[in-house]
Parts: sequence; structure tokens; C-alpha cells
Amino acid sequence: MKQNSMLAMILAGGRGSRLHDLTNKMAKPAVAYGGKYRIIDFPLSNCANSGIDVVGVLTQYESVLLNSYVAAGRRWGLDAKDSGVFVLPPREKADANLNVYRGTADSISQNIDFIDSYAPEYVLILSGDHIYKMNYSKMLAEHKANNADATIAVIEVPIKEASRFGIMNTNETGRIVEFEEKPEHPKSNLASMGIYIFNWKQLRKMLVADMKSSDSSHDFGKDIIPALLDNDKTLYAYKFKGYWKDVGTIDSLWEANMDLLNNNNELDLNDPTWKIYTEDVTTLPQYVGPDANIGCAFITQGCIIDGEIKNSVLFTGAKVKSGARVIDSVLMPGAVVESGAMVTRALVADGVKIGKGAVVGSPDSENIALIAKHIKGVE
Amino acid sequence: MYSAFGIVNSTGKRIWVDGLEVYRPIGAFSFMGRYRVIDFPISNMSNSGIDRIQVYVGKNPRSLTDHLGTGRHYNINSKRGRLHVLFSANTDEHDIYNTDVSSYLENMEYIERMHNPYVVIAPGYMIYTTDYSELIDNHVKSGADITMMYHSVDNAKDTYLNCNILNLNKQKGVLSIEQNNGSAKSRAISMDTYVMKKELFIELVQKAKNTSSLYTLADIINDECSERDVHGVAHHGFFATITDFRSYYDANLSLIDFKTAIDLFHDDWPIYTKTNDSCPTQYFETASVKNSIVSNGCLIEGTVEHSIIGRGVMVKKGAVVRNSIVLANSIIGANTHVENQVVDKRAQIQHVKEVISAPEKPGYIKRGDVI
Repeated sequence: MKQNSMLAMILAGGRGSRLHDLTNKMAKPAVAYGGKYRIIDFPLSNCANSGIDVVGVLTQYESVLLNSYVAAGRRWGLDAKDSGVFVLPPREKADANLNVYRGTADSISQNIDFIDSYAPEYVLILSGDHIYKMNYSKMLAEHKANNADATIAVIEVPIKEASRFGIMNTNETGRIVEFEEKPEHPKSNLASMGIYIFNWKQLRKMLVADMKSSDSSHDFGKDIIPALLDNDKTLYAYKFKGYWKDVGTIDSLWEANMDLLNNNNELDLNDPTWKIYTEDVTTLPQYVGPDANIGCAFITQGCIIDGEIKNSVLFTGAKVKSGARVIDSVLMPGAVVESGAMVTRALVADGVKIGKGAVVGSPDSENIALIAKHIKGVE
Repeated sequence: MYSAFGIVNSTGKRIWVDGLEVYRPIGAFSFMGRYRVIDFPISNMSNSGIDRIQVYVGKNPRSLTDHLGTGRHYNINSKRGRLHVLFSANTDEHDIYNTDVSSYLENMEYIERMHNPYVVIAPGYMIYTTDYSELIDNHVKSGADITMMYHSVDNAKDTYLNCNILNLNKQKGVLSIEQNNGSAKSRAISMDTYVMKKELFIELVQKAKNTSSLYTLADIINDECSERDVHGVAHHGFFATITDFRSYYDANLSLIDFKTAIDLFHDDWPIYTKTNDSCPTQYFETASVKNSIVSNGCLIEGTVEHSIIGRGVMVKKGAVVRNSIVLANSIIGANTHVENQVVDKRAQIQHVKEVISAPEKPGYIKRGDVI
């Protein structure tokens, strides 16, 4: 199907160091979420569902897993003849040495040749580590209707939290008049979601200039957007309503998983008109044993449950043995809770085993316990 | 390994599964919620290194061809391998004429074109796992003309009644093939699984046709037993035939016991199926689920015991599902009680509050029916 004239570039090079051990061996966009997904499934599925055919993924930090994961474009249906997911780590060029990506804007600058080869009219810049469902074609329609030079997706946040975000101050038509990065005294509650649509020709010029500038940090938020505003370009805010989460910490990753247990959670992963696609893993269906006691849980295929599960999210292949209890917790792929063990307010990392009778996490802890190493059983 | 192509055949005569088979062939039946019956023979072939597989499709092909698609999900190389769906365009209105042999004859051109010297034929209506590469090796080493698989059972008096049995001599030579008439408990049930040279297979198909237009492959092999070396190989592990409504129901429910399941599923032997991209299943606070197999995409608020819940099923508040198989996208309405049933796809139990059958005679709710 012939689609729109917009190409997407997903920024997926970051480590997400506040996720500690979870991102020791993989970049943040590859972190597991919601039982069967990886975070980057969200922007990729959104692209596929929005009719975007060509997606570049900019990777850098611990990219082996992420590169091979996104390269299988057919997982998201991005494998039609004129379609594809392209993995773009830093590379050596005939006229330039191998350089790391110095910032979000620089990663695009270093791939101008890639984008040029598709000659798109518009370029959509996305973050690879946000959880949300969004129809980018609606945003593009608004961008066109406003005859804008750039459009930035924004979401209303509580004003008392606004100083944690990049805040867009707009006039009554939605045109952005000022951008403030983490302002101490925010004038509005419209936070940038890090989703931008640019007219490619114009962005290309800006990037070429930015590459040469020695005092630039080569960042969209810090350099490109302010430069556009300084040059009196027309920038519009596109108001997004719905679930959106940037999971920066163990607590927020846990929270984002817990949000799925809400009866009317806004993310609604069960919506057949906007599915989130992911790797097709070959496992058994979920097995619920005779001693199981499950209330308020989100559980996926390959799990074997014979213990008590309350208020928890279980990822592919997690096992909870008879007599074990898992409460207010997240068990990542392949985590095992042996019989008699107790897991409370914890996030158990991929493949980690909680031994017989062991107790991890606590109901009154301030923070969520990240369990990234096997816990020995108590006999 | 010796090179073989695969044939997955549809049912022979005598076999009919009430209810479900009105809508689709047995190969397309939902199995354990997540699978279709045909996933087992195709995955066995794929895992055995057989990557050219012919699937013979009879009546009502829609559901099966939807599921098979390009065959990509079966881990078959998309250039060198092929999952080839072969239709029988000339099905006779008198079903007795629609034998496996008639469908092979109709597609003989595609059988003759295969490069591989051997053929493995497996039924699309039995559930088992086995390594066909070992079977082929065994066949070549033994020097037999035909190798057949069988499964020894000791409950053949009242089950497997639609199946063939093998009469074997001490050296596992097949003396004859006949229908199980329920006269003895211990029998070697034919798994309708054969290995032979492609040329012999073609010869037997022609011979069957020349003998009788009702002959099946099993019939002609039975005739040939005395002339040729037909060898039986025993299968160990889980084995089920889906040959009537009861066997479908029993095979599914028996696998709820995880110990039984590990007799069928092995870590190094994945069973592939088509993904539906459903999200995980949500269990609500009021849910109570025990002893069950649950697929993805379900919303469970009620009670589920000793049952198999298919993809995207809703079990509403106060509902009770017991000893039942609920197929994809069905709705078990609030405060309804469903026991000993097979609830076909997209059915809704809403107005009638009790749908309970006797355990020895499980019931069936039609596809898409709102009751």
C-alpha cells in the first residue's frame, strides 16, 4: 500500500542508567515491559499502525540485542516491498572517521545520506523508550494544516511536576512561542514528548549547520528547537491525550507495569484496532495449577503458576511454584519463584531465580526492590 | 540424514467430529487454546529438517488456509523450503469417494516434481511429537519397503474405535492393517504415519486407484503386506487421535495435567503456531482460576476450573466454567454456569444461565451462537 511521505527515525541509543542492572547488557528500548513486549515495540507498532513504511532506528549503547531485535521488521508488519526497519549504529564513512553519536540531533545528522535516499517530505523523530499508543498520521495532518515548520507532540502534566519536563509555552492557536527545558517556575503544563515532525529540507539545513557548530550539544531539545524558535520558524504543539510514560527508573518501570492492572487502563493493550506487535515467542500456553490463587494480574503465555499471585505482572515463561507468593511485583521473562518464597514490591529481572522460602522486597519499602541476581533458598 | 519431503494428509474415511467439523477440517481445530491440531505434524516435520511440506486440504479449507498462511511461522526456510497447500477441487458429493488416495491422484504432478527420494506421510488429525529424521534413518537401515509408526495402548476396547490397528509379528513386521473393532484391550494403533521411497508411494497410489475407487493408502498397504517388507516402529510419549468429539474433548483436557504435557512438549522440540498478537491475559480481582490452560488476550473475572480457555475469551463476573473447552473470542456471560462443554469460537453464553452436560457426554455450543 502506498503510504504517506513521512519517514520515522527512532532514537534508541541511550542506556537508561537509572534502570541499573536491567540495562547492563541491553539498551533501555530493549527492556521488557507489559508481560510480552519490549519498550521499543510501542514506537515501532505505532509507526506500522500509522502507515509509516520506513523506520530508521538509531542505536549506540549495548546495541547487539537491540539491533537484531528491530532488524526483524516483519514482527511489526514493516516488511512490505517498500517498507523496512533499518538499524543505524554509528559508522565509518569515506569522508569521516567513526564517531559516536554526540547527541540526539547528531545521530540524525550522521544519517542524512540514509534519509536523503528516501527523499521524504517529512521526518518524524521518536524516542525508543516511551510507552504510549499514538496515531502519527493525525499529527502529520495537523502539521500540514498549520503549514508548520515543525510540530512537537505535547502532553498535559500536573503543573507541580512540570519542572521535570521540557515545557512548551504556546499562544491561543497552539503555536509555540517559547520552549523551556526543566523550568523552575513553569508557565504552562504542556510537556514535550520528544516526538517531532520536521519538514526534511529545512531540518537538513539546520542539521548541517549544527554539525559544524562547536558550542552545540547536538541535541533536539537543547539546540535544534531553540534555534528554530530564534529564527522565527512556525512551531506548533500537537496535544496528545492518553497514556504516555517515560520509564526512567525501576520505580517508574514497575509503576508502568502496575498501570496495566487498572480496570480501565488507558493504554488498553487489548484494542484490536491498534495492536502492539512484538516478537513471536514459541512457548506453551499459560499453565495454572491446582494450587494457584490469582487475583488482579496480567499474565502471558509460557508462564507456569501454582502459587499465589496478587497485583502483579508476569512476563513470558515466568514460573511461580506451589506455596510461593508474589504480591505487587513484576516477574520479568523466565523469572522463577520457588515454593514457599515470597516476593513483595519487587521487580525480578530476566531469568532470576528466587530460591525456596526466600523473602525479597517488603510491603512498606519506599522503593521497589530490583532483584537482578539469584537469591538462595532458605531450607 | 536422508532427504525426504513431507505430506500432511487430511482424514480418511469413517472419521467425523460432531459439531466442530461442520465449520473446519480437523487440522484447523483449536488445540490447548493456543494451537491448531495441524501445528503438531508440521512442527514435527520442520524440527526434523523436512522443509518441503505438502498439506492436503479437503472441504471447508478457509480456516486451515488462514492458519497456514505462507507457513513462515513453522520455521521453514522461505526460499529453499515450502509449505504447499494442495486442494482437492473435485471432491465428490458422496464423501466415501474422498479418500487420501483421490487427493494424491489429483495432485500427482506436485508429488512427482519433488526432488527428495523419500516421503514422510503424517496425519493432520493426531497429536504427538516425534523426530522423523530418526524414523527415516531407521527405515533406511532396516531395509524395509515401508515403515509405519504405531502406538501401543491398553484401552482399545472403547477408545480409538475409528482408528486402524496394526497386527505385528515378533520382529515388528506388519502382517495386516485393520479397523479397530474394539474386541481387545491391547492394540498397536496405527499412527497413519509412513516413510517410504517416493517412487513406491506413487506406485501404491496408482495401484490403489486401479484396485478400488474407495481404497485408502492404508488399504493398499494392507494388501501389499504379504509381498513387501512393511516394518512397524513404536512411538513413546503422548499420543492422541482426534477422530470423534469425545477424543477431541479428552485429548485437550488430559493435557491440563502438566506431567502429561511434558510427555508431549520438549524443550528442544518447539511446536510452532501462528501468532495473533494478543496481549497477555488479565485476571481481575474476582477471578478464581485453577487447574487450567489459559491463552493470551483473555479477560477473566469469574471462576475457571479444569478447563482450556482460548484466545480473547471473556469470563464475566460470577460465571463458572468447569471441565470445558472454550474456543477463541467466546463470551461466558455474568453468572452463567458452563460445565462439560465445548464452546465453539465467538459463541456467547448470555441468557441461559446453566449449560451443564453429563461428564460422560460433554455438550457442544455452536460457533457464533448466542444462547
